Amino acid sequence: MSSVVSARGLNLTFQTSDGPVHALKNVNLEIEKGDFVSFIGPSGCGKTTFLRCIAALEQPTGGSLSVNGMTPDEARRNRAYGYVFQAAGLYPWRTIARNIKLPLEIMGYTREEQEDRVRKVLDLVDLAGFGGKYPWQLSGGMQQRASIARALAFDADILLMDEPFGALDEIVRDHLNEQLLALWARTGKTIGFVTHSIPEAVYLSTRIVVMSPRPGRITDVIESPLPRERPLGIRDSKAFIEVAHRVREGLRAGHSDD
Amino acid sequence: MQEFAQEFRDAFALILAGDAELLAIVLLSLRVSLFAVFFAAVIGMPLGAALAVGRFPGRGALVVLVNALMGLPPVVVGLLVYLMLSRSGPLGVLQLLYTPTAMIIAQVVLVTPIIAALSRQVIEMLDAEYAEQMRSLGLSRFATVPVLLWDGRIALLTALLAGFGRAIAEVGAVIIVGGNINHVTRVMTTTIALETSKGNLALALALGAVLIAIAVTVNALVSLLGQRAEVREAMRNA
Repeated sequence: MSSVVSARGLNLTFQTSDGPVHALKNVNLEIEKGDFVSFIGPSGCGKTTFLRCIAALEQPTGGSLSVNGMTPDEARRNRAYGYVFQAAGLYPWRTIARNIKLPLEIMGYTREEQEDRVRKVLDLVDLAGFGGKYPWQLSGGMQQRASIARALAFDADILLMDEPFGALDEIVRDHLNEQLLALWARTGKTIGFVTHSIPEAVYLSTRIVVMSPRPGRITDVIESPLPRERPLGIRDSKAFIEVAHRVREGLRAGHSDD
Repeated sequence: MQEFAQEFRDAFALILAGDAELLAIVLLSLRVSLFAVFFAAVIGMPLGAALAVGRFPGRGALVVLVNALMGLPPVVVGLLVYLMLSRSGPLGVLQLLYTPTAMIIAQVVLVTPIIAALSRQVIEMLDAEYAEQMRSLGLSRFATVPVLLWDGRIALLTALLAGFGRAIAEVGAVIIVGGNINHVTRVMTTTIALETSKGNLALALALGAVLIAIAVTVNALVSLLGQRAEVREAMRNA
């Protein structure tokens, strides 16, 4: 079976006035269907850049990258993925329901189908009844959930999330992490998730990709021994703490050269 | 001083009585300027959108040019359109000089850059905010334009009103290409210019009052729409 995402020898070099910046250097990674893969590392390690390459928002300068067996741009045009940005990016002048409908309108779904899907995804992210509200009437966590709902509204198999909960407080973040796992279990999507937080990465992922900057590269890939079903309490278990420790070691090793 | 007051009384009597000549002039003004804004919008909005989302060589220069053209002197536009339409000009065969159509053409030339430049700003700002979102939804650059136009419609309406304000209040271009012919091409601004020099102050004042009312209304609408957008912006940031 072929991977959902396959990167071989991927490079991305930005030319700046101070010389070339190696955002990604020789990145090799396979993401299998149904995986929950987290990318963790300090600023400048290329974790967001890699996610953006998968989404064809960034153009690699070397190596090969395929998404669903296609080039990333073909996959993008085939709507292979939903992308959740760091900022919720909801249109302030559209209600939550109409924000979620935006991609559906663009893709030409019928009115009934749109209504139907909006109802389903609002349920999925626990926002039923908030469709008629405007984004500014919702809390930050709710806005981010609406943004996730929008990415789920059309049937993309891949969900790419760039630090979606980075701006939220820890209690809200815990709650959303729990909901995200439930959603992943229900939908069976393949998820790529960028984060700064070790507990978040360990709690969510089946695989944790540890990255390091200058040049941006993968320093460790950790297969999580945790079961797929994870109550929040699992974070106090021995296995969890061991994985977190290995991630921390990986991050420290990546930093030793500066 | 008494005469002065009398002119004002006569002017308002004209307005209140719904004087036929006054009404005809006001209606012609509105017709010319509304048509001009319509055609300017048809040309200017896609142009503004193309400048906002397009990436092609010379784009920067074109943006500067369109912005600069917002300040075109109406008299000069009138002169150029006059030369084009005059009997010996390249478009002389159309025999459009001294017709309302000529006046519409001149105003389209004046208003198009305003609508194009303001539309570009609106769409560029929206695009900066939503380009990646749209891209992640599988859209090409140009496929995003209708969405941006629709979502920016209030700000774009402001651009149209600004264009209309310019057109309705402008005198230099229409007087040259229209010729200020009674019952044919006489609009509010040109009538005011003529009647004032003839000493028929009552009609000039009456038209002036109507013109100011229209200008004030349009500007009030512009700022009202702007305020609504601002309030929403504030609510969003709250």
